[in-house]
Amino acid sequence: MSTPPAGDDRHVPEDRRTEEEPILSVRNLQTVFHTDRETIRAVDGIDLDIYEGETVGLVGESGSGKSVTARSIMGLVDEPGEILPGSSIKFQGEEITGYDTKQYQNLRGSGIGMVFQDPLSSLNPVFTVGNQIREALKVNRGITGEAAREEAIDLLEAVQIPDASRRLGEYPHEFSGGMRQRAVIAMMLACDPEVLICDEPTTALDVTIQAQILDLLRELQEDRGLSILFITHDMGVIADVTDRVNVMYAGEIVEKAPTEELFAAPSHPYTRGLLEAIPGQQAGQERLRTIEGDVPTPNEPATYCRFAPRCPQAFDDCEAVHPELVGVTEGETEHTAACLLYPEDMSTGEAVAYHERLGGDSSGTDESGAAGDGDVAADGGRSTGDRGRDSVDGGDGR
Amino acid sequence: MNKLLYIAKRLLLGIPVVLFGLTMTFVIIYLSPFDPMTAILGRDSDPETARQLAIALGLRNPDGSPVPLWIQYKDFLVETITFNFGQSWVVTRGQPVGALVWERMPATVWLGFWSVLIALIFGIPLGLYAGLRSNTWGDYTASFGGIVWRAMPNFWLAVMLAGLLSAGGALSFYRGFLIPTDVIGTSDAIGALFGGFTPISSLEWLRIPVPNLYNWAAGFKWILPAALVLGSSSMGNEVRIGRTAVLESINAPYIDTAKAKGLSTRSIIGKHVARNAMIPLLPVIMGEFYLLIGGSVLVELIFGIRGLGNLFLSAIFASDVPIIGALTYVFILIIVFFNIAQDIAYTIIDPRIGLEGGNE
Repeated sequence: MSTPPAGDDRHVPEDRRTEEEPILSVRNLQTVFHTDRETIRAVDGIDLDIYEGETVGLVGESGSGKSVTARSIMGLVDEPGEILPGSSIKFQGEEITGYDTKQYQNLRGSGIGMVFQDPLSSLNPVFTVGNQIREALKVNRGITGEAAREEAIDLLEAVQIPDASRRLGEYPHEFSGGMRQRAVIAMMLACDPEVLICDEPTTALDVTIQAQILDLLRELQEDRGLSILFITHDMGVIADVTDRVNVMYAGEIVEKAPTEELFAAPSHPYTRGLLEAIPGQQAGQERLRTIEGDVPTPNEPATYCRFAPRCPQAFDDCEAVHPELVGVTEGETEHTAACLLYPEDMSTGEAVAYHERLGGDSSGTDESGAAGDGDVAADGGRSTGDRGRDSVDGGDGR
Repeated sequence: MNKLLYIAKRLLLGIPVVLFGLTMTFVIIYLSPFDPMTAILGRDSDPETARQLAIALGLRNPDGSPVPLWIQYKDFLVETITFNFGQSWVVTRGQPVGALVWERMPATVWLGFWSVLIALIFGIPLGLYAGLRSNTWGDYTASFGGIVWRAMPNFWLAVMLAGLLSAGGALSFYRGFLIPTDVIGTSDAIGALFGGFTPISSLEWLRIPVPNLYNWAAGFKWILPAALVLGSSSMGNEVRIGRTAVLESINAPYIDTAKAKGLSTRSIIGKHVARNAMIPLLPVIMGEFYLLIGGSVLVELIFGIRGLGNLFLSAIFASDVPIIGALTYVFILIIVFFNIAQDIAYTIIDPRIGLEGGNE
């Protein structure tokens, strides 16, 4: 599972990025939670693009804001959470952050579907699996009656549940964990979504089942041209299924790269730490290497590097300058990292000044501010067409 | 098929419970300071009359020797179970107890029916409302109201309400409001809820009762204060448990999944939340029936309703053992019945609850 990726065929060609609109595009997303004492900046200005038919990974420790990102896209952020103005989420070119409940209900399911972490509790225990699948068919595709039953059987067969017609009449508790996750996936497929967000869909499952589910997702993606946002903390899973990866830390994206590139040449110290923490990567050592400490709770706009306290390569400027997402080498757009050590070909002093300038230019402190500068990519290799707007948003948002 | 077997099994298992209940009743009556002889004959009675009475009551054999306890126990069991309750000793001397219970039944059923219904009609929706609007003023008002209703003991509430409704009380207008009715005492309306029977189609034997709407209205108005008192604490419970149940369900991951499917709010609440919220509410609703049995004694006494609770109380004060035995038996049957009904309802609402024990 933790073998380096090999699936070149899945890799989205470079050139399509410049021509095609991403199906889902997130810009400067800031989701905060208001508590009595402070405001938690769970997601603090992230950019993300998903193109049709590709799988984008979002990886990070628990508490780094991955799930909140997913919920923000789905419009499932409830009180006391809030998506700050200036955030932008575009689905098929349409801004969805301002949607009301009704519009979100139309979007969910048929537009964006989501598979949640815990298959044991994501099915309603008091209704049969068939009932819950047919419900999705009815709401999203208007299929009812006998047609819905047949479609539900097809879907269960598509997710490789044997004896599907009998299984339809069973309750979730009669399914095993892996079966339930398959049933949830079948239910989401019943909605016929364009984008499927998978929020740690295999975390609660054991590894053999996990492998089956991942294979299943890959097959379904090929068959149906799904775009998948895959959220996990498991680098092995990332290597297995994704085309591009976004590494998230404390509400910010700290590194973006094509999957192979990320595993071949991880740039951000945090990414390196994550990769080193995979058992088996360092056979012969007595203990598994880990990243010391915990993810901090981001409760103020970052004016420093949030990873610095845990970073083995931190230096003084890390406490004073907020790193922007920049190419790992100058001019690089596919592989970016938010670390003062980059761009690699600058001296440290130059790089720090560069980051300061990027941060200052956009009068913001988030990475999207960097987008204001035409020569860096906030997101791997997009055209620079809408950069200007981003930087304005970044400024307004504060 | 499996379900029928389960129901049969539960009914069968109810039998020992009923027997045990009756045994306890017998033991308690025997151990209690009831003295039916004195109760029936008064303090200074003729020894010969007393001897004949003892024989008639089955306490002594015709030859004067005392009837052994186990025979008394056996007679009590057999007679009670076969609904052969005998005659009242004191309360309405000589009247068959069965007929007496039958006669008093409608008032109590009427009272119980409305107190359960009123509690349900107000309690459940208020609980759902409070849960769906948690931590808003609406929720605080509903929850606070629920706690107040729950906290007012029914003996106190009954006395207060009876006082307010009586002549000179702040609510005394209620008696003349719309339909003149008494609020204290037993209304004649409940004896005449149905004005005869009407045959359906050509089948002469298949008849449906024709409700007398005026008497329904009058009966409802008459019972409302008593039903409100009797249902008060249940209503409070339903608000509180309903709120918790909704909150628990609405924050469950399967609700997120339902939302992710694009379901409407109405469908999410009406289908996914409501069904799950019913699970913890069921025992509260069923528990109402037990409360009614205890509560009806008190409420019927204060509101002067000639029902089973009232009869039970007079029987105890008068040491009228046949009535006590008969009513206890009826109460045991009701409780066992609702227990079984609750278990069956559980298996319908929550499929995770197996019909067999332990095998999933």
